[in-house]
Amino acid sequence: MRIERGDIELAGVCKSYDGVVNAVDGVNLRIADGAYCCFIGPSGCGKTTILRMIAGHEDPTAGEIVIGGHNVVGLPPVQRRTAMMFQSYALFPHLTVRENIAFALQVRGQSKAERLRAADAMIEKVRLTQFADRLPAQLSGGQQQRVALARAAITEPRVLLLDEPLSALDEQLRVQMRQELRRMQRELGITFIHVTHTQLEAIALADLVVVMEQGRIKQAGPAREVYAHPRDRYVAEFMGGQNVLSGRVAKVNGGSFLLKQGAREAIEVPLQARRGIGVGDTIDIAVRRDDVALVRPGASLPPGCGTALPSRVTAIEYQGYFVKVMLDTVPDDEFVAYVPEKTFFADPFNVGDVVLATWVADRARPLA
Amino acid sequence: MSAVVVDNPEQGISARKAIAPSRGKRPWTFYVLASLFTAYVLALYGPMFCIYILSFQDVRGGLVFPMKGRSLHWFIDLFTQVRTGDVKGSFDRSIKLAVIVTIITVVISFLAGLGFRRRFKGDSIVFYMMIGSLVAPGLVLGLGTGLLFQALGLSPAWYSSALGAQLSWTLPFGVLVMFAVMSRFNNAWDEAARDLGASRWQAIRLVMIPVLAPGLVAVALFGFTLSYDEFARTLQTAGSLNTLPLEIWSMTLNVTSPSLYALGTVTTIVSFVVIGVSLGSIVLIQKKRGAQKIKG
Amino acid sequence: MPSSSSTSRSSLTGWLYVSPLVGVLVPFFLAPILVVLAASFFGSDGFGGLTPGFTLANYVEVLHSALTLKLYLATIKFTVLTWIFTLLIGFFVAYFLVFHVRNQLLAIGLFLLCTVPFWTSNIIRMISWIPLLGKEGLINAALISTGVIRQPLEVLLFSDLAVVIAYVHQLTIFMIVPIFNAMARIDKRLIEAAIDAGASRFDILRLIVVPMAKSGIALGSIFVVSIVMGDFFVVKVMSGGGSASVVSAFYEDVGVLQYPTAAASAVLLTLVLVAIVSLILRSVDIRREITR
Repeated sequence: MRIERGDIELAGVCKSYDGVVNAVDGVNLRIADGAYCCFIGPSGCGKTTILRMIAGHEDPTAGEIVIGGHNVVGLPPVQRRTAMMFQSYALFPHLTVRENIAFALQVRGQSKAERLRAADAMIEKVRLTQFADRLPAQLSGGQQQRVALARAAITEPRVLLLDEPLSALDEQLRVQMRQELRRMQRELGITFIHVTHTQLEAIALADLVVVMEQGRIKQAGPAREVYAHPRDRYVAEFMGGQNVLSGRVAKVNGGSFLLKQGAREAIEVPLQARRGIGVGDTIDIAVRRDDVALVRPGASLPPGCGTALPSRVTAIEYQGYFVKVMLDTVPDDEFVAYVPEKTFFADPFNVGDVVLATWVADRARPLA
Repeated sequence: MSAVVVDNPEQGISARKAIAPSRGKRPWTFYVLASLFTAYVLALYGPMFCIYILSFQDVRGGLVFPMKGRSLHWFIDLFTQVRTGDVKGSFDRSIKLAVIVTIITVVISFLAGLGFRRRFKGDSIVFYMMIGSLVAPGLVLGLGTGLLFQALGLSPAWYSSALGAQLSWTLPFGVLVMFAVMSRFNNAWDEAARDLGASRWQAIRLVMIPVLAPGLVAVALFGFTLSYDEFARTLQTAGSLNTLPLEIWSMTLNVTSPSLYALGTVTTIVSFVVIGVSLGSIVLIQKKRGAQKIKG
Repeated sequence: MPSSSSTSRSSLTGWLYVSPLVGVLVPFFLAPILVVLAASFFGSDGFGGLTPGFTLANYVEVLHSALTLKLYLATIKFTVLTWIFTLLIGFFVAYFLVFHVRNQLLAIGLFLLCTVPFWTSNIIRMISWIPLLGKEGLINAALISTGVIRQPLEVLLFSDLAVVIAYVHQLTIFMIVPIFNAMARIDKRLIEAAIDAGASRFDILRLIVVPMAKSGIALGSIFVVSIVMGDFFVVKVMSGGGSASVVSAFYEDVGVLQYPTAAASAVLLTLVLVAIVSLILRSVDIRREITR
């Protein structure tokens, strides 16, 4: 058996350490060959466990892991054609850059000359030639990452597994190395599976974003879909950029329904693809923060805007190209408007101002 | 302490400084504790140096100062006189035994360190058995071992019963040191090696042993010196041929010449050589790695 | 269930790795202890032979002997005195090295300086007090020449004082090492925070350093207590035969082939030791402290 493709299928994968609680709980997922897939979720959500099960460092309690058409459960890492890039890289501290990269060839029994030649070629590819004889401790974080990448890539894997590869780097380097990862993925043409807890990283890199919570997949899809159309409150809040409002359905008419929150004005929400919404249901809706417009009381609403919620400005944060305005629109919950910088400063608000928060009616979306 | 505050306006009050300022005036406690420390070190080394000096007296020498003459008389006496016992033979045996104990201690402690990385069912039994072996009175254990050999019809000897009795003393130390060493080993190194296709043995040989080398040298140092000086457990188990500490023990009971001191000087030189070689090789290994810090 | 099979598999590998250790400890720790336990219930034929059987006579004899009480009192006296001195010296030496020496490399160097004698012969280190403490030793000579005393002090060598000095000399290192390790792990920012909160030097010592060095103190205490209680050699040599401890009496018993009584007294001592050690262990999870 030789695995030639890097497509992965997880079928009913479960992992339990104590036989009681499932750290990974019935995960089903299909990842295409050559895709860049990001697992995202808070710590302890099971994303790293899934990665380690794909790598073969842990066995699933139940379920199948199929790589390139072969069930790999029980196979050692090397036969899976996977390679792992560990969190904080796990470079061998006693070996030089060259020896680290040549390690996989050494254990395969290649002659010294042969493996050092191959390692040098790889070192050139990741632009580390001048550091080839250094020890890991003598490298910067970004250089260490490149060594880790080269060390994993030299095994010619079909799947590269990256465990929080950017978390050890500082902010600027992170953006730079992010691009480098994407470039390497395109050059190698293999599947990358990347675990992170940073939303920006996931949506910037991934073809497929998988949002997890407590061992389950909450939503999996292209970055834009997950960010712009979160399925439920958890995904919406975790991916950010959304205001989530909760209320009771007061009325359903044709293409939309009215959501009522306590004594406040009802919000009209298009039904879109959602079915089975009945009067009296409690339901969450989401409105993107950059879809929210703020107008002063008495001014006319922008065209297309139906709902206008009176609110008080509680805080203002300047973010550069936009201004984050926090409002007390929803009791006990965050409600934020991202106002473009130019719009904001044309008529700036102050903390304590009363404003109307409004949006174009079809921008509101019901959540599951 | 107020002086400290004034000294470091830009850093505010810093702890290191309040207890021990990194510059400026030192607190009075420094001088008190420094005196205590000096006194301790003097008391630690002073007596030892007295006997080293006294061992170089000439034939008139006695057990106390003042020094009478200067010669190597008592060293020659030590290795030539019959009345001082079989020093040379016991010295040989002690070194051989210590080498065997060292090798076994390093191997078994290393394996146990690997085993204790993860918890397993019944691991506490082994752990507390080890602690028990550490704290049990050596003489009692030695007697038990001696009686056991007797009951089994085996005759005790330095290479069998004494070897085992010494291991019951060196192994707990070795494993405890291994624990400390292992806590600095990042398991991801092992996993990375396996991920790159290394077999279990290759991962141990190419990654674990080289990374842990300084710690293994430390275990070896413990193994050698604890065995070389072991007395209580060996007393009832060595059989008819003495090890060096047993020889010294019998000398303390019947030799009242500086020969005793000469023997002390000789064994201490051996100890110092072993310590020097061990610490030197640890430093050398660390230096070769560019004084890097191992990430925990 | 697959998970239970994987845990039993990891248990198996764990046991495989520790099996050589177990292979030494069972015949050379467990079995000898059991042999001594068994011997304590045997009778004696009076010629060094053991007669198998079950009798409590040996225990009755040991417990009824006035000597036993005296031996235990002596042992406890030596243990407590040694523990107090080694703890005080060890604690403050470690405290000095960790919190008062500015240069960390120097601190480690001085620490090594303290540990080197640990790796040399204990017997030699003990004998080395003779030229200092003896009747014509350096200390007496110095005291006489300065006129403090006229006659040499006899209590210096071959006395209880000499025994305690030898113990403290040998065992302080067992306190320094674990306490030093525990103190070195204290986050210095914690102390900065305490200072910012207005704590005095003594407050810091009492409220931060001592509680956080507790594991080291416990570990050191186990070593010191178990070594002193198990020793016979220092008592025998340094007291000049004037004092005895439980184990030195045991040694004499063995010398005259009184195996059963010796075994009974050894079992009792081991029980006392186990009680003390487990009392200390209750206050600190030693395994977690070591592996941390």
